[in-house]
Amino acid sequence: MKIIDTCGAPPPADGRVEAREKVTGSGKYAAEYPVEEVCYGVFAVSTLAAGKLKSVKVEKAKEAEGVIEILTHLNKPVVSGFSDETKIRESRLGLAVFHTDRIFFKGQPIALVVARTLEEATYAASLVEGEYEAGPFELDFDKARRKATLASTGREKGSPEAWSQAAATVEAEYTIAAEIHNPMEMHATIAHWVAADRLKLYDKNQGVNNVQRTVGRVFEIPAENIEVFSEFVGGGFGSGLRVWSNTLAAAMAAKMVKRPVKLMLTRPQMFMLTGYRPASWQKVKLGADREGRFLGGWHQAMNGTSTYEDFNEWITGVTRLIYHIPNLKTEGALVPLNLSTPTWMRGPGDCTGDFAIESAIDELSYVLNMDPVALRLKNTAIDKHPNNGLPWSTNYMNECIETGARMIGWEKRPSKPLQLLEGDWATGYGMAVGAWNAGRGYASAGIVMQKDGSVSVRTAMTDIGTGTGTGMRNIAHEVTGIPKNRITIELGHSSLPAAPSQGGSTGLSSVSGAVVAVSNDLKTRLAEYAAGINPAFQGLKADEVQLTDKGIALKTNPGAVVSYHQIWEKNDLKSLELEASSGPGEERQKFAFCSTSAHFAKLRVNRRTGRVKVEKYVCVADGGKIINAQAAANQMSGAVTGGIGMALMEEMLIDARVGGLIANDLAGYHFAVNADTPVIEVAFINKPDVNINPSGAKGLGEVGIIGVAAAITNAIYNATGKRLRDLPVTPDKIIA
Amino acid sequence: MRPFAFQKMNNAAEALKDKKAEAQFIAGGTNLVDLMKKHIAQPEALLDVSSALPKDIAVSGRGLLIGVMARNTDLTLNKDILARYPLVARAVLAGASPQIRNMASVGGNLLQRTRCPYFYDVSTPCNKRKPNSGCGALHGAERMSAIVGYNAQCVTVHPSDLCVALAALDAEVKIMTREKKEKSISFRDFHKLPEATPWKDNTLPENALITHVYIPENPFHQHFAYLKLRDRTSYAFALVSVAAALHLENGKITAARLASGGVAHKPWRWYEAEEFLKGKAPSAEVFAGAAERVVKGIKPLAGNAFKVPMLKGAVETALENCITQESYKQ
Ligand SMILES: Cc1cc2nc3c(=O)[nH]c(=O)nc-3n(C[C@H](O)[C@H](O)[C@H](O)COP(=O)(O)OP(=O)(O)OC[C@H]3O[C@@H](n4cnc5c(N)ncnc54)[C@H](O)[C@@H]3O)c2cc1C
Repeated sequence: MKIIDTCGAPPPADGRVEAREKVTGSGKYAAEYPVEEVCYGVFAVSTLAAGKLKSVKVEKAKEAEGVIEILTHLNKPVVSGFSDETKIRESRLGLAVFHTDRIFFKGQPIALVVARTLEEATYAASLVEGEYEAGPFELDFDKARRKATLASTGREKGSPEAWSQAAATVEAEYTIAAEIHNPMEMHATIAHWVAADRLKLYDKNQGVNNVQRTVGRVFEIPAENIEVFSEFVGGGFGSGLRVWSNTLAAAMAAKMVKRPVKLMLTRPQMFMLTGYRPASWQKVKLGADREGRFLGGWHQAMNGTSTYEDFNEWITGVTRLIYHIPNLKTEGALVPLNLSTPTWMRGPGDCTGDFAIESAIDELSYVLNMDPVALRLKNTAIDKHPNNGLPWSTNYMNECIETGARMIGWEKRPSKPLQLLEGDWATGYGMAVGAWNAGRGYASAGIVMQKDGSVSVRTAMTDIGTGTGTGMRNIAHEVTGIPKNRITIELGHSSLPAAPSQGGSTGLSSVSGAVVAVSNDLKTRLAEYAAGINPAFQGLKADEVQLTDKGIALKTNPGAVVSYHQIWEKNDLKSLELEASSGPGEERQKFAFCSTSAHFAKLRVNRRTGRVKVEKYVCVADGGKIINAQAAANQMSGAVTGGIGMALMEEMLIDARVGGLIANDLAGYHFAVNADTPVIEVAFINKPDVNINPSGAKGLGEVGIIGVAAAITNAIYNATGKRLRDLPVTPDKIIA
Repeated sequence: MRPFAFQKMNNAAEALKDKKAEAQFIAGGTNLVDLMKKHIAQPEALLDVSSALPKDIAVSGRGLLIGVMARNTDLTLNKDILARYPLVARAVLAGASPQIRNMASVGGNLLQRTRCPYFYDVSTPCNKRKPNSGCGALHGAERMSAIVGYNAQCVTVHPSDLCVALAALDAEVKIMTREKKEKSISFRDFHKLPEATPWKDNTLPENALITHVYIPENPFHQHFAYLKLRDRTSYAFALVSVAAALHLENGKITAARLASGGVAHKPWRWYEAEEFLKGKAPSAEVFAGAAERVVKGIKPLAGNAFKVPMLKGAVETALENCITQESYKQ
């Protein structure tokens, strides 16, 4: 990763707040908390895709060494929130684990073996067998989608057929294989009932308050009776935004055996039990006039879902976000399959839709014989949101494109394929853009100051590797002046000030407002105390004072300092605790908000062996103000790596004859590794969006992956003349 | 994992004496432990041979004798290998990861089981894992499967990279039988095709130990290449791989070796193409002719027909790399 600061300033060289814990291993991930008396739960899962679970043969497993209990749908203690069909539906959890005898997919838990050790539980679980009544099932997305009916996904603009009347048109279908989040840390839960109605959960997720609420609803106990720890999260990518069966089953089992139960999914189990990006099909029709102005478009999309729950990826949303298309129709449909329910995965929906749109625009550029950069600049909707018409608060899409073009050396791109040849290798350039509606949630943050001037800034929000904690420290430092090494961060615990889940690139946008607010509150409160010692502080506002490692000072006269020591002594303080909340307001009625990205790839394709080698990759993004350049660039390069995986290798493999997934482990499922990526060059526009929140930061997590896949396949076309519309583009498709 | 006993062996004799049918030798454990965790191998006892067997790499007679406990990484650092048998190092480096290569032994590499996803998934049929349960991969996910030498019993491929180089170099496998007899098996006879016994990967007698691998002297230290094509650039098994080695005198090819991984139940030699190359001056046309002979008559499965043109391209590229020594860039 190489950070190129478009404003010229070198990035600050301070590390992440949690670096030490992560590097030394002292940071505790969900499964790592020492809990006395803990025993181990391991799922046995269905080997059938659909039907009825008649019984579960547990006898052999029961006799295995160390087994304490085996939980099935037949002997489970009924959980009140799952006690009947209506309640199950109301739980909005989809799968009421162990509270149904219906099998919806291969890999669905049919038993939880609880034993003294992990090894014993694992072995015993291998001895459990289900007895089924097989039912019909569907696993072929391509076949099933032909039966689905498209319905409108947004207001139709003008005439849907206008595209076909244009001087230049494209019409093409695009498909993307389902993908698995595959975070490094497996989903795991330790459930510990400390009283009949009080539960402690050490859980891997992206939002402790969501876990509290959801589990509370299922077990019908008050949310505040549930304490959730998710202090370190080893990646999520969206897989931790829901509460899954591991959390619920651990809590059920712990209740049954009256001991804490630890349940960690295996990697193959994770492929079906924590969501995935569904398979998709799209058709894009697009027309432009001779100058390249879009006249009309029609975007149709379908995504897979389960048979027991609807998950809509809203693939066509991005078509109403980036460009002005005066005549536009968008449609979508869901395709139920005998798989588990998909979920949000990095850049959900937009990432999928963007591949089709940005590919189609590239195709159109060749029809028009026009530079794809120029074509985009002609159509980007930088004045207002093309769907709701609100003016953008800020939209630097064009700057992203122009900067990226400069950085990659776009002028060297040949206007036709097969121009840069060297032996079997063909070189090409490709680009695409991405955008993401920048959201903001209502979040709280707290600050606790000690007499020695050290502070702890805290929120319940989790940091899934995005750098939220580091961002919070930087904001607190910037607002108060307290040196960074005097600021510690506490995160991911449900008793801390409430915050939304870390998802949809809203984490920092949401919590930053609260951190600014509470930092200002701290300054005003200290100014009030200081006024009791030095009248010069009387009635001062937050921005008139500055905090140092020793005390509070006047901005106009930094020599006038009242020390924390004095304040604490005088007021007999133990510690100073403040909390503040902040959320979106009427700015949302006045403005639209988005983050944008421009992606540029230069790559080589071996026409004989099908190898693709990405030689140079540039990603320029607007995420508003960059609070921490390293963490932000890390988000981008990680997202680009994910996008390269999406483009070239990631694929959930299904074999309908065995009723489900095959090769569901890290040997069979490839995601990109370092050898697949060049040094990814990241640059930011780095201008604050003054309307979105007090920090000026918009989100970055999603927008980095949106556009990558099309940039890669567009470059492959520029190199070879092969238009590849079916992801992933594995070597066989190149030589086909 | 099923509970098991564990014993550390001091020498080969002790290991052979204690070896019962339910026990299994363990070396680096990088394959066997995974199989045990997945309940595919369920030995009652493990006999750790890692300090019982030789690990030295030494010039011997007219070749190189490699102790079976040499770690895969050792093969990439040994100066005799780098000077005289560099194809071996190249092949090893194309496989696994540094951590795994540090643990993996030469013996374990020869005896590693297939990576067919059906073999690894106990909820599916697999004749190799469970005799007579059927072949899951045939008509299933055939992408990684064989294109030569397969039958309806089993369509899987041998996953090793090292073994492709050893096959190309006509290595020999030195073993010690249960009765403490020392024997030598030529590499070409060591791994087998599925035949009627797909659950057997090789011809190593029951309860025998491998002690060494011998590589006879050869002239292939100047013109060699190992090309591995796969779904990602590192840490993935081969779709197809090619070990190529040429010896040139007066501008003519006097000896040629060509072998492939990812195509058959065993490392596969392309003898006809080797013969074709002999006596010819290297050129793009000659290499294309050799590649033609490699793929001639191959009947792939429905799901992996792409491997045929890919193999052809890989053979041409590997042969060209032998001349340009560009394989690092591939
Ligand atoms: C993630 C991953 C990726 C990999 N990628 C590749 C790759 O790309 N290319 C590649 O070639 N390999 C690859 N490997 C395989 C790796 O090379 C093998 O796991 C390794 O070589 C096995 O050696 P070991 O010493 O650990 O064997 P062990 O696991 O200890 O043993 C394997 C088998 O050999 C038997 N055995 C071991 N030594 C002897 C002996 N002296 N005599 C008789 N029997 C013996 C054992 O009983 C066991 O059945 C990969 C492995 C992993 C886990």
